[in-house]
Amino acid sequence: MSDKAPTTVSRFRLKVVTGAVVLASVILLWRAVDLHVFRKDFLQDQGDARYLREQPIAAHRGMITDRNGEPLAISTPVDSVWVQPKTFSTAYSEWPKVARLLDLDLQKMQRKVLQRKDREFVYLKRHITPALAQKVMDLKLPGISLQREYHRYYPAGEVTAHVIGFTNVDDKGQEGLELAYDNWLRGVPGRQRVLKDRLGRVVRHLEQLKKPESGKILQLSLDRRLQYLAYRELKRAVLRHKARSGSAVVLDVQTGEVLAMVNQPSYNPNDRGQFKSSHTRNRAVTDVFEPGSAIKPFTVVAALQSGRFRPGSMVDTAPGRFRLGRAVIHDVRNYGRINVATVLQKSSNVGASKIALALPVDALWKVNDRVGFGMSTGSGFPGEAGGLLSRSHRLREIERATLAYGYGLSVTPLQLARAYSVLASDGILRPVSFLRVSGPVAGRRVIRADIVKQVRRMLEMVVQPGGTGTRAQIAGYRVAGKTGTVKKATTGGYSEDRYIAVFAGIAPASQPRLAMVVTINEPRNGVYYGGEVAAPVFSRVMAGALRMLGVAPDESDNPGLQLAAFARPAGGRP
Amino acid sequence: MMQQASQAMPLGKARKTSRRSGREVFVFDRWLLLAVVSLAGLGLVMVASASTSIAERQTGDAFYYLWRQLIYLGIALALAAAAFAVPMAYWKKAGPGLMLLNVVLLLMVFIPGIGHEVNGSMRWVRLGAVNLQMSEFVKLFVILYLAGYLVRHAEAVQTSAGGFLRPLFVLVLLAVLLLLEPDYGAVAVMLMTAMGMMWLGGARLFQFLLLLLALSGALVLLILVSPYRMERLTGFLNPWADPFNSGFQLTQALIAFGRGEWFGVGLGASVQKLFYLPEAHTDFLFAVLAEELGLITATLVIALFLLLVLRALRIGRRAEQRQRPYSAYVAYGMGIWIGLQAFTNIGVNMGILPTKGLTLPLMSYGGSSLVAIFVAIALLLRVDYETRCNDRSGQQEAWAW
Repeated sequence: MSDKAPTTVSRFRLKVVTGAVVLASVILLWRAVDLHVFRKDFLQDQGDARYLREQPIAAHRGMITDRNGEPLAISTPVDSVWVQPKTFSTAYSEWPKVARLLDLDLQKMQRKVLQRKDREFVYLKRHITPALAQKVMDLKLPGISLQREYHRYYPAGEVTAHVIGFTNVDDKGQEGLELAYDNWLRGVPGRQRVLKDRLGRVVRHLEQLKKPESGKILQLSLDRRLQYLAYRELKRAVLRHKARSGSAVVLDVQTGEVLAMVNQPSYNPNDRGQFKSSHTRNRAVTDVFEPGSAIKPFTVVAALQSGRFRPGSMVDTAPGRFRLGRAVIHDVRNYGRINVATVLQKSSNVGASKIALALPVDALWKVNDRVGFGMSTGSGFPGEAGGLLSRSHRLREIERATLAYGYGLSVTPLQLARAYSVLASDGILRPVSFLRVSGPVAGRRVIRADIVKQVRRMLEMVVQPGGTGTRAQIAGYRVAGKTGTVKKATTGGYSEDRYIAVFAGIAPASQPRLAMVVTINEPRNGVYYGGEVAAPVFSRVMAGALRMLGVAPDESDNPGLQLAAFARPAGGRP
Repeated sequence: MMQQASQAMPLGKARKTSRRSGREVFVFDRWLLLAVVSLAGLGLVMVASASTSIAERQTGDAFYYLWRQLIYLGIALALAAAAFAVPMAYWKKAGPGLMLLNVVLLLMVFIPGIGHEVNGSMRWVRLGAVNLQMSEFVKLFVILYLAGYLVRHAEAVQTSAGGFLRPLFVLVLLAVLLLLEPDYGAVAVMLMTAMGMMWLGGARLFQFLLLLLALSGALVLLILVSPYRMERLTGFLNPWADPFNSGFQLTQALIAFGRGEWFGVGLGASVQKLFYLPEAHTDFLFAVLAEELGLITATLVIALFLLLVLRALRIGRRAEQRQRPYSAYVAYGMGIWIGLQAFTNIGVNMGILPTKGLTLPLMSYGGSSLVAIFVAIALLLRVDYETRCNDRSGQQEAWAW
């Protein structure tokens, strides 16, 4: 036995060891209580400061619908990928995978992230589909996160693009009604408290601090079907006549609502890549032109108001030329002595000028001013042009004369349509609205009703055989309207080969419901008269519109009239 | 000695019913076993909970560490069973050989190709698929060697300076190798355990104080020389001074305790383990436990470790009373080692000791630690078992536990 030594460990020494073990346990216990109970507030605050974060909750932008509730702009949920550069850099070797998934240039991505290393938030790519975003997150890289956002989608695409406009990537309105009604459409983002792990990923949604408020629905006055019809017809005309651009506006004359407003060229608002100012401009509102002969009804209104003329009053237009100082005003041919109604029907520049010069100096200006030229329509459309209308008493004679047939003032297609709606509503001027209006809209009387009715009857003659706008006829309905073929102003005078073809009209003439203006800018395919180029667009769109609105025909079917419309050779005149 | 070994009952008869009392003979210390099973079970649950996020991120499999820990546990139990079957006499004889093995083990760490560096420390040896942390086995073998020495040279230890210093030279050699890795935690635990055993071996008090002084001096010198140690020390004294660099790990651990409150945030609900707290499933497992299960469970774990150590000391005391000093020293040594390592780890977690890189025995993730500790437990049980057999064959006292 080698274990021969007696008990070597004294009880005392073992007790010291036992005591030390117990003491150590007590110290640990005391410390545990200290941390768990007495210091918990401080420690929890420290913890919260490290991983509790407030985050915005994206709010849904309000939908834009047409007057019947059909969606024209809707927000769909998408994800944006963002990174914390510093944390994200720890997974540098995985970056090519991310770049491949997101279809980014790897070098550009590297530069972008590394240059912003001191920042906390850098977008890698915005607005990708949730499915793709999930693939990126499945890589499980540090410092990469998603942000829920909403992408604006426009179901009607280029058809409604100009009126509705578009939002930017931050969901803020940039153009059109998206911009005009941004406050109404925009939601108020909410806030939430989230718990993040150290890699910056949200692991728990703790509480909602503020509920996100969705934006409100915006119901427009547009009728989607009518909008499609107008767009199709305008586009066809612009293509056929190789025109530079074109616009069409349809107004409800009883409410001032814009039922359709289209332009060419257009763009696809769902593809931000192709935005060009020349395509995105809502020309019907932002671009002005000299209205030419389309202004003549208001010259006649001024004449009738003055009491110096009646519809049957004769005006001598012979010999088809009218010299005023150095300038000469031409008609297409010599109409001789004609009455006021025929001046309109034949669109005689000489007649209009002579009428204007026979009126008080301010008469023309007054009428043009009262029907809304030279000032904004009050539609609230961003970038709306007011046009130009100078007071006549400052004008020389030649200028007053040219004003009578539509030169020396500039208007937008919308302004012209609104002025024609005054002719349609027996002399009441109403504000223009892009939003659906319910109930009757109060307006302001600007022209005596009996005068308006007389002018309307004259305008019906324009589309009847012998007039310049026969191609604006619509089977079953009486149409009143006026053609215009405008020489474009260029440097140093008026061009002899660049025109704007215009047709402005109202229907049904007996009890008008709609006013419409069609402008085709620089038709370059041989014909350029308003009655040739613009009137057919008016006819087709207006016919469809009346049917869609269920407007009763006000003319028993008159095949002779129709035949005449088609049989008549191209004979439109300015 | 051979006589003593032959007195040990064959294992097969261990569960035989005692004829005298009619009670079933249970060969294990039940309280010790209770502590070990509870701690290991709780440890497994916490490793699973603390490692999921890290595992998923590193490997894609949330249970990667859990599966491995289960395999380690199986290996540890098998090796523990094998160790239990070896009579204490063999261990006593093998003592000097184990000491030599220690040196070899520690040198292996520095052999290129099998030595493996993690976080700037050469602590691991790669053997096939597994990494072994040699210091865990070194601590185990040192205790077995030192117990034998204290028995063989009992008189010298108690009376002469030479008897006291001789084993220390060997330990210093190991300590130098460990410091080269560097593994300061292992050095501290090894030396403290050795000093505890020498204390119980009867080393004279003034020698002991001198040594304590010298060791403290060396430790201070070490801290001054190595800035990395210094940083860890200041970080521990006031972690909130620099909570995002040197104090980062500790402040995160402390936050875990504060969040836990009385009953914890719930199993699996820890936030600190979500990459805020480094080494959540290894060295800082206790902090995650405190966060998820609260003060109640933290207290329970400390109490279980206390129970474990007290049972180990009691087993040693009984062996000593039965004239089995070697077994007694082994039991004391194992008890002190496990206690030291557990309390140090918990102390580090709670910010009352500098960060050392020590695992929590029985609980932390890690195969080497698990195997070494389970073998230590097996040796404790073996000592207990031999003592009981001795009692029974001598019929000196009734069975009790």
